Amino acid sequence: MQTEDYKISFFRPTTQRALVNRNLTIKLFLLWAVAIFGFQVLLKIVEKPVQEEALLRFTPAWENVLAGEAIEQDYKIAGQSMVQAMGKITMSPDNYASLRDGVGWMLHEVCSDEVFAVIQQDVQTVNALREQITTLQDSDYQAAKEAVIARAAPALGIDQGSLLAQLLSIGLSNDMAGISDENKQRIPEIMQLHMTHNRSFLTDTIFLGFPFHYFYNAVLLLVFFIGLCWYYCYRIDRLHARLNFVERTD
Amino acid sequence: MKKLFVFFLMLFPLTALAATDVTQLEGSFKVGPAIIVIFILSLFVLVGIVFRAKDTTDYYAAGRSISRVGSGMAIASNWMSAASFLGMAALMYGSGYHGLAYVVGWTGGYVLLLILMAGQIRRYGKYTAADFIGDRYYSQSLRTVGAVIAIIISIAYAVGQFGGIGLMFKWVMGIEYPLAVVIGGSVVLAYTLISGMLGVTKNMQIQYVIIISSFMIPMFILTAKFDYFWLLPQIGYGAAVQDVVDGVMISEKSGLFNSLGHHFAIVPNPEYAMPWAASTGQTMFHWVAIAFSLMIGTAGLPHVIQRFYVVPKASDARWSVVWGLFFICLLYWSAPVYSAFGMLLSSNPEVGRLAPDAIVVYTAQLGNVNPLIVGLLAAGGISAAFSTTSGLLVAGASAFAHDLYVKVINPEAKPKTQIKIARLSTVLMAIIIASIAMLDLALIAQLVAIAFSMAGCTIFPLFLLGIWWSGSNRAGAKAGLIVGSVVTLISLTYLIAARYELVLPYSDFIAFYLGAWFFAWIGAPLAILTNIVVSRLTSETPIEIRKFLIEKVHA
Repeated sequence: MQTEDYKISFFRPTTQRALVNRNLTIKLFLLWAVAIFGFQVLLKIVEKPVQEEALLRFTPAWENVLAGEAIEQDYKIAGQSMVQAMGKITMSPDNYASLRDGVGWMLHEVCSDEVFAVIQQDVQTVNALREQITTLQDSDYQAAKEAVIARAAPALGIDQGSLLAQLLSIGLSNDMAGISDENKQRIPEIMQLHMTHNRSFLTDTIFLGFPFHYFYNAVLLLVFFIGLCWYYCYRIDRLHARLNFVERTD
Repeated sequence: MKKLFVFFLMLFPLTALAATDVTQLEGSFKVGPAIIVIFILSLFVLVGIVFRAKDTTDYYAAGRSISRVGSGMAIASNWMSAASFLGMAALMYGSGYHGLAYVVGWTGGYVLLLILMAGQIRRYGKYTAADFIGDRYYSQSLRTVGAVIAIIISIAYAVGQFGGIGLMFKWVMGIEYPLAVVIGGSVVLAYTLISGMLGVTKNMQIQYVIIISSFMIPMFILTAKFDYFWLLPQIGYGAAVQDVVDGVMISEKSGLFNSLGHHFAIVPNPEYAMPWAASTGQTMFHWVAIAFSLMIGTAGLPHVIQRFYVVPKASDARWSVVWGLFFICLLYWSAPVYSAFGMLLSSNPEVGRLAPDAIVVYTAQLGNVNPLIVGLLAAGGISAAFSTTSGLLVAGASAFAHDLYVKVINPEAKPKTQIKIARLSTVLMAIIIASIAMLDLALIAQLVAIAFSMAGCTIFPLFLLGIWWSGSNRAGAKAGLIVGSVVTLISLTYLIAARYELVLPYSDFIAFYLGAWFFAWIGAPLAILTNIVVSRLTSETPIEIRKFLIEKVHA
C-alpha cells in the first residue's frame, strides 16, 4: 500500500496484505451495493400499477353515477367501494370527509325519503353520542350504531355482520344528502390514489408468510449484512495469520 | 413533487395529533409502569456509581478494557436509540415500505464502517473524531470545526432521544410533554454526570439486555394472542403483513378484539407493504437516498466512531462491529412487528389518529397486553433513549472539553479541570437539547436522520479520505467541509422555512432532492469530490502525516 515516499492509496496497494484487503473490500462493497440498491432497481423495473378489485368495480359505476345513467346496483357498488377506502389507515382527514360525502350521496340515491330520514336521524344520534361517551362500549352508543347498520348497510348491499358495516356506522356525516361538485371530481382521484399499487412477482410471491420483497428487505438483507461483516473479519484474521502479521496495539 | 412536499409538511403535526378522549390510550399516572421505570433508572444510576470514571482515560474511553462481545453489546445499546425502539415502527406505520429504508440504512452502514474504517480508527488511537481530523489534517482550525460539528451532530441526534424520553415519561406519568422532557432529561443528565464513559459502557451492556427483553416479550404475546406463529415472531409477523395487504374479514378472526372492543379486522391496505405507493408520497429515489444517507452517516457519527476506542486492539474493533450489528439486528428484525400489529389493531377509524412515535406502546395496549408488560416496554423505550443520550452527551462533552478546551483554549489544563469542563459542557448540552426537544419539531426517526445526513456530509468524507488517501490534505479537507456544510445549511434552511410556512424559491425542488433526512446522498459525494480536486491542486500532505498513516493507521 505504501511507497518509499510514504504515499498511501486504497487503489494502489504495494503490499500483499493491502492488496488482499483492497480486493476483499471491493468485492464485499459490490455485493453490498447490488444486494441493497440492485434489488430496488429490479423492483422498480418489474413493477406494474395494479388496481384493487374495489376500484375496478367503482370506476364504471361512478361514471354511470356522474352521467346520470346509474342503476341501483351502480350506487351500491360505488358506496361499498368508498366505504372500503374509508377504512384505509393512510387516508387523510380531508379525503376521508370527501368519501363520507360520497357515501352519504349514494345512500340518498338508493333509499326512499322516509328511510333516508330515519338513517340520517340515527347517524346524528351516533355522532352526538360519540361526543358524550366515556367508553366505546357505552350501550346507547352501540345501540345507535346498530341502528345505522340495520338500515344503511342493507341499502348499500353490505352484509350487516361485516367490517364494512362497522365502518359505515361511524363514517357518515350529519349532513348526508349534500355533496359538492368539487368532491364529485375529487372522489375518483382519491380512490385512484389509495387503490392503485405497484405490484410484481416479487411482491406477490409469498415466502414464509411475507410478501417476498418485504421479507428480503426486513429480514434477509440484515442477515446478509451480518454475514458480510463476519466474512470480512474472518478473512482478515486468516490473512494476518498467514502473513504472520501482528497488528500494533497501544 | 408538490405531493412530496405536502407529505413532509404533513409529517410535522403528526406527533401532536392524538386519539380522541374516548379512545385515549395515555390517561393518567400509571403506578405499575412507573415502578418499573423507577427501578430500571435506579439500576442505571447504581451501576454508573459503581463503575464511575476515575480519570480522563476512564471518562473518555472506558480504560480500553471492554471485550469484543461486551463492546458489541455497548455498540448496540448505544445505537438502539429512541429512533430504533420507537421511531422505526412509527415510520413503517405511517409510510409502509418506505420505512424499510431506515431499517436497511441503519444496519447496512455497519458494513461500510467495518470494511472502511473500524480497525483503522482504533489503530489511530485518538479519543475523539476531532482529534483524528485535527491530527490527520494538521490543522488546529479543522480540529475546532470538527469539534463544533461533532457537538452539533450530537445535539441534533439527542433531540430525538429527548423527544422519545418525553413521550414515554408522558405516557407513564400522565403529564404534559414539556414537563416530561424536563424530568426525563434531568434524570439522564444526572446519570451521565455521575458515571462518565466507563459507567456508560457497563450500563450499556445492562441496558441492551433490558431494551431487547422489553421489546421481545410483548411481541411473543401479540403473535400468540392473535393466532400467528409466535415461536419466532420476527418471522411469524410475515403473515400479519400479508393480512394487512389482503385485509382480514371479521369472520376470519372472529372472537379476537383489540382493547377498545373492535374486531381484529382490516380492509385491504396493500399500500402498507407495496413499494412506493402513491398514497404515501414516496418514490424509489427517496428510498435509495434515505438508505444511502443513513449508511454513510453511520460511518461518520462521532459517538459511533468513538466506541472503537474502548476495545483493546484493532481486531477487537472489527469483531465488535460484527457482534454489535448482530445485537442491533435483533431489534431491527423485531421493529416491523409492532408496525404490522399497529396497523391491524388500530385500523378502525374510531381509534383515532395515534401519535406514530408511540405506536409501539399503543400497539401493546391495543393488543390487551398486561399493563405491567406495557410498562416494561415503555421502560425499554426510555432505556434505549437513555443509553444513546449518555453516549451522545459524552461524545459532545468530549468534543468540547478535550478538543476545544484542552487542545485550543487551555492546553495546560489539569485532568481535574478537564473533567470539570466536560461535566459543565454536558449540562449545557442537555439544556440546549431539552429546549429544542420541547418544540416537538418532527418524528423521532426523522430528527435522528438529520444528524446522519449532517455526519455523512461533513465527518464521513474527512475520515474516508483521511484514512485511505494520503494525498488528501488540509486545503482539500477544508474545501470539502465547506461544500458539505453548505449542502447541509441549504437543506436545513428549507426545512425550517417549511416548518414556519415560508415558501422560498425552488422549495419543491429542494424538498424533493435535498430533503432534510437524505441530503447526504449528494452532499457527501460532492464533499469527497471537492476534497480530491482541491488536494490535487494544492501542496502535498506533509511527510510526517504520511509516515504516521503508514506506521500507525495502517500498521
